[in-house]
Amino acid sequence: MTLTPIDWIIIVVYLAGCLFAGLAMRRYVRGVEDFAVAGREMDVNLGIASLAATEMGLVTIMYTAQLGFEKGLAGASIGVLMALAFWVVGRTGFIIAPLRTAGVMTIPELFEKRFHRRVRWLAGLFVVLGGLLNMGIFLRLGGEFLVWCTGMPPSWLEWVMTILLGLVLLYTALGGMLSVLVTDYLQFLVMGVGIVVTSVLVLINVGGFDMITSLSDAWAGNTGMKLTAHPFNPFDGSSLGWGYLLWMLMLQFAAATTWQTVISRVLAARDAGTAKRMYRRTAFYFVGRFLLPGLWGAAAFVYFAKQGGLPEGITSLTAMPYYLGLILPVGLIGIVIAAMLAAEMSTDSGYLLTWATVIYNDLITPCLKTPLAPKGRLLLTRMLVLGIGIFLLFYGLWYELPGNAWDYLAVTGNIYLASVFTLLVAGLYWPRATARGAYAALIMGAIGPITFLLIGKQYAIPPEVAGAAAFGLAALGMIFGSLSSPRPATQF
Amino acid sequence: MQDPFILFWSALILGSIAWYGFLVFYVGIKAGRDIRTMIKSPKAQNPDEKL
Repeated sequence: MTLTPIDWIIIVVYLAGCLFAGLAMRRYVRGVEDFAVAGREMDVNLGIASLAATEMGLVTIMYTAQLGFEKGLAGASIGVLMALAFWVVGRTGFIIAPLRTAGVMTIPELFEKRFHRRVRWLAGLFVVLGGLLNMGIFLRLGGEFLVWCTGMPPSWLEWVMTILLGLVLLYTALGGMLSVLVTDYLQFLVMGVGIVVTSVLVLINVGGFDMITSLSDAWAGNTGMKLTAHPFNPFDGSSLGWGYLLWMLMLQFAAATTWQTVISRVLAARDAGTAKRMYRRTAFYFVGRFLLPGLWGAAAFVYFAKQGGLPEGITSLTAMPYYLGLILPVGLIGIVIAAMLAAEMSTDSGYLLTWATVIYNDLITPCLKTPLAPKGRLLLTRMLVLGIGIFLLFYGLWYELPGNAWDYLAVTGNIYLASVFTLLVAGLYWPRATARGAYAALIMGAIGPITFLLIGKQYAIPPEVAGAAAFGLAALGMIFGSLSSPRPATQF
Repeated sequence: MQDPFILFWSALILGSIAWYGFLVFYVGIKAGRDIRTMIKSPKAQNPDEKL
């Protein structure tokens, strides 16, 4: 173990602070609206902190570092596309402004108003399916970081992550979005300090921008390990390539307007203007979300290339945490581990709450003949948060990734991103869209990603083909389904 | 360092570190105030509606 007593004290104080703050918010929860969207009282800066903390998980740090290790700095191009998507959406209010104005709690709820109750239910099912599969690997990847960075025995992984999830479940199930917002705030501060400090230390360790020369040498094959992708040019055939980048551009626009954990911050905002400002001001954060951990991954490649190769048992996924464990000084590693735990906890809490809200709001509520009493609604949502936590523990332990971590996350997210994005665009901006078109878009949009998950490993299906096909099929489903059914009688 | 991609990524690395450092302080202070306002709002203060 590389942790000293000082490191442990920092970690324990941080965890206790989060738990106390999260539990303290419990007394302000009066109903499902407070629980799910914080009574729609969130202002812009808290929105920025919460959005940034939720979307920067330990899983994010792991897969972006893996991209940096395998593809150099060019791997961070996805972050540039993400920032572009958030800025454009924040500038124009595309989708998010009418969505916030509609006053719904989840995206599928809008589909009932625009299409039909059954469309809401089916969309809710896809949102939950894609979201939970996506979240399924969070604990495993987070645990891998802790194992390789701290040197703790791998057999502790399940127990450490179970305890961490237990803490998150406790304050999320009791305090809902109010607890999530306050703990996200604390986690944003700790994580921000940790990321800046680590990035500076990594740059110092690799000799500042000498790393550029080292990456060029590795690309040219002059070091102990050959970099197989161009480290700077993402358009190069050896790197991400045009097709992949085009899919990523579509995916990031869809995520900015559709990803339920992001949209839950839009729906918790005071008004549409607050949501738009939150998007614009958070946009550049997403460049660093990919680039700074990508820098750590690229630095790990340079470091191990100079050593002659990766140590036994280390992969492109675990090289970065192992490298950080080697270079971070005693004492500082406690702050970095606390920062990474912050990243993990804020993401887990936000995701747990979001998917529980969708299950309650869009899968269960439409099936009830008599609405539940407020107390029953709150209890049910809390039970769902716990249920999702239990699912995560078991799914995260046995699923084997078919490719790299980012491709898995992008493809599982794509199960609903492509179809729900199509439904939102058509529902809000195309008066001719009908319920039949919506059904067709939902089903056809899920075919590509589900095929990739089931047989992608055996048949080597490129993720960009599976992902881009989902957008094309969903759009075709919406157009042909709508045109083959009568024009809607009422306008939304 | 004449490759435009290298200049691009170098500028973004420095910009990201500076931006993250700035956000921690700026958003840290402002979001703290947002939390106080949110907790003190009339809706959050009404004990009669509590479950």
